[in-house]
Amino acid sequence: MSDPVSLLLTVLVLSLVTNIGISLYGVFTRPSLVKKFISLTIFSDTLNSFAIALGFRRVARGYPSIAVIPSIPEDVSELRAAAGTAVDPLPQALVLTAIVIGLAVYMFLAGLIVMYYRHYGTTHVRPAEGGSIG
Amino acid sequence: MNAREVAIATSITLMIVLLAYVIEAGGLGPIAPEKLRELAASYIISTYNPWNITHSAQSLEAVTAIVWDYRGLDTFFETSVLFISIVGVALLFRGYREKTGVGGRGLSEIVKTSTKILAPLILIAGISIAIHGHLTPGGGFQGGSFIAVLLVLLSVVFSLDFVVERGLSTSRLLTLRSIGLMGVFATSIALLLVGLVTGVSAYVFQNMVREGAPVSMPPWFLDRPTGGTLLFFNVFEALAVATGLSLAFIVLSLRREEVEEALERGEWYE
Amino acid sequence: MELVPVAIAALSALLSVVATYLAVRSRDMLSAAVFSAAQSTAYALIYYVLMAPDIVLVYVPVSVGILPAVTVLLIKKTERYER
Repeated sequence: MSDPVSLLLTVLVLSLVTNIGISLYGVFTRPSLVKKFISLTIFSDTLNSFAIALGFRRVARGYPSIAVIPSIPEDVSELRAAAGTAVDPLPQALVLTAIVIGLAVYMFLAGLIVMYYRHYGTTHVRPAEGGSIG
Repeated sequence: MNAREVAIATSITLMIVLLAYVIEAGGLGPIAPEKLRELAASYIISTYNPWNITHSAQSLEAVTAIVWDYRGLDTFFETSVLFISIVGVALLFRGYREKTGVGGRGLSEIVKTSTKILAPLILIAGISIAIHGHLTPGGGFQGGSFIAVLLVLLSVVFSLDFVVERGLSTSRLLTLRSIGLMGVFATSIALLLVGLVTGVSAYVFQNMVREGAPVSMPPWFLDRPTGGTLLFFNVFEALAVATGLSLAFIVLSLRREEVEEALERGEWYE
Repeated sequence: MELVPVAIAALSALLSVVATYLAVRSRDMLSAAVFSAAQSTAYALIYYVLMAPDIVLVYVPVSVGILPAVTVLLIKKTERYER
């Protein structure tokens, strides 16, 4: 807790937690479906960021490197050296597919909201209360 | 402010505080540990390891190796989810037909000229990211998203007519997208078929030599490592992602005339 | 040495909190979409600092490029102001 890097990482994680709270507030309380849609995208992005932050690490000297072997290794010791500085690749691989699949699902959701609007004439979740046309 | 809003605000605040406390108390593990986890270290050591080839993917990049080799089946079904979502979008707006000459003019001449300069660069960057996915950061998903951005940009700047007249109608995009998925499928069972023909055992999603399965994809092309199946997976996945996402965008951006024509033809549920 | 990049990440995380708050609070959906894109940009910077170039390469086209376009399209096809 005492050194500044831990403090800054704590600030980062706490900001992400706050983002989760704000976006959940948007999903729960805003009456408009479009606003729920925007809040939901922010929510899922924040959860992905948590996974990435979990894969981060610190090295004794310098800054950690990406999870790529820099050149074709001559020896096993080069691989062990790479594992000594690289970050965790597993959360990145999981988040990578989740982002693209998420976009396709959001496009489907957008199509559903357009259909809802064509049917009821409003994007309010309760068309009888908020809709002026429908 | 009624009782319902107070309840929602209280519970969300409580959730934030508790989650922050759990993370700070180390409930989800240390935030940035000095030591790499054992699993991650084994992935990085075995991703390009010619001295232990039965556990290796022969790819310099660990993320692509995990996505398409170590967890290939997972990614295959995620690609299927992508396909089903795109089919769902097309099904929601079924009965439409793209028309040319409705009157899309696109944006101004300045924007068009700068897009003409940018478009080949984006295309080349996307293709390069896709086919070098096993050597540098990148891969099929990244390259496909780049090319999808290009198609979205073209359909916004030059109007939908331009894209459709150049031959990228939605039916053709759906065909290309299916070709990408079939390519992923064919690559995943290629070594299984080779094993069946030559009479040795092999696995689905096999890349390099495994224990008891001596068939292997070529690990080198000229003087570059290919990562075996990873190169083919990246190329087909880039094709699938690019055409799928741009298909969904074009269907979502259809104009009122086209959808109303579909309504008149009665292919619609009331 | 490693202080500067982590400080940039923490700063953009704080900025993303502001952008998220404005995106959830604003009555105009179009400005909500723009604030959401600003939040995505801050997240892309965080991913870059946290040494995840694969995620940056997929996140920038998807969440800064296509998703705001889809949201703006959705707003154009429905209604702009929240009642």
